[in-house]
Amino acid sequence: MTTNPVPAIAVHHLRKTYGTRAAVEDVSFTVRPGTVVGLLGPNGAGKTTTMRLLLGLASPDSGRALVTGQQYAALGSPARTVGAALDAAGLHPGRTARQHLRIAAAMAGIPEGRVSVVLDETGLATAADRRIGGYSLGMRQRVALAAALLGDPRVLVLDEPANGLDPAGMRWLRNRLRAFADAGGAVLLSSHVLAEVDHIADEAVVIAHGRVAAAGTLADLTAANGGDLEEFYLELTAESAEVR
Amino acid sequence: MIRAELLKLTTVTGTWVAVGIGAAGLLLTQLLAVTFIPALASGDVRGVPAQSELGAVDPGSLEFQAAALNPLGSVLGSTGSIGVATIVVMVLGLLVATTDYRFGGLVTTALAQPRRLRILGGKITATAIAAAALAVVFVVICLATLLITAAALPSIEFVVPVAQVLGIAARSVAVIVLLALLGLAIGVLVRSQLAGVLVVIALLVLEPIVQSIAQLVTGTVPVWAQLLPLSLGQAAIADSANSVFPAIIALPALAAIVIGVTTASGAVLRRRDL
Repeated sequence: MTTNPVPAIAVHHLRKTYGTRAAVEDVSFTVRPGTVVGLLGPNGAGKTTTMRLLLGLASPDSGRALVTGQQYAALGSPARTVGAALDAAGLHPGRTARQHLRIAAAMAGIPEGRVSVVLDETGLATAADRRIGGYSLGMRQRVALAAALLGDPRVLVLDEPANGLDPAGMRWLRNRLRAFADAGGAVLLSSHVLAEVDHIADEAVVIAHGRVAAAGTLADLTAANGGDLEEFYLELTAESAEVR
Repeated sequence: MIRAELLKLTTVTGTWVAVGIGAAGLLLTQLLAVTFIPALASGDVRGVPAQSELGAVDPGSLEFQAAALNPLGSVLGSTGSIGVATIVVMVLGLLVATTDYRFGGLVTTALAQPRRLRILGGKITATAIAAAALAVVFVVICLATLLITAAALPSIEFVVPVAQVLGIAARSVAVIVLLALLGLAIGVLVRSQLAGVLVVIALLVLEPIVQSIAQLVTGTVPVWAQLLPLSLGQAAIADSANSVFPAIIALPALAAIVIGVTTASGAVLRRRDL
């Protein structure tokens, strides 16, 4: 892939309230092609809301969220542009992984041949015809990731993708996302596993109380803390430790 | 989207359980209605005196046989066989909507197709296809029960003209599709599978109660009480001269109700955060 002047993801002054509570307030950041950006923040900080606004699952009160310069709803074939995995949701326990992916492929107009490809890629080929209800959390994460990869997208939006993954799964995820970004793809991932973000991400956006508390390259952000992301994060979010 | 929605529907156990219960329930009630009830009425059941309160039940009559071909009705005019088949039809539509909500699948759907009304369009088409297939199964069960009974009992002859059989079958398919779409719209509105089932059952139970109360108060079933979905469905399938509404009015009236509720569900789906 070549360098693209248009950010893969551009979030401008996003605001979303639920009742009287602002879940997201004036959130702005960009994700450039070829980078992995970690979206960090305490529980209830607004990470998932930001992702849902980006993916058109919720409407912002104000501001805009663009993917490759367009609102998600305006993308011609969204699954071919953006692969999204939101906390392993959307998996019916009575279906098999293969059935789930066949349905996802049919919805997105993706050839069914891709199902076997992503099953192989995510290490699910041998378990593909077992019901998801019997899967571990890590295996469910892999199904969600497989669905995100179905359309061979240029942008990945992943909510807590490392949840439940075993060490081998973590390593696979790290290598897969790194290779994806090195090939020009853009990744926005939220995570509580700071060590993983430290390993995977090039940049981080820290959200606290629905606002961007810090954003930049990991090196710049953690320079004052001797490169310790955890120390930096805890200092920044100390006031937000209480769940909102 | 349509293929995906059909795949969703056919890859969950609930759909097949509902269809199985519907088919088995209908077969059982039709067998009882076509063979047992007439025998009971005429005193042919050994040790049981003739049940005069059942009235004259003549399984060889055109009226009886035409009524027996109605998969959502009952040859006795009661709601005895409405329950299973009608509940299953509406639950089928309900499942198309609520299975997605129950396990977060609507998020996956919306990610693949961000335009919400297209999602609803896919669900409507898939529901109509599945309901039409189910309706054909139901019609075949009714027809087969009657034909086999007529073949087995020398005293009964199948007397319904082919054109009338085809008319009842076509109207049954149309009504079943509309009721399934009503179930879908209810599912989109309430989102919860349990709440949806409760709403459907409440509608099915409340409609005859409302009609009975109205009849008690006014001495007759008022016109407005016959404009409720189940009554319209029955009137549309029967297309009887005794009915207030012939099929040509009942069917569009039922369609109008379904369109109204579906439009409301589309408006809610469009503006609701997922």
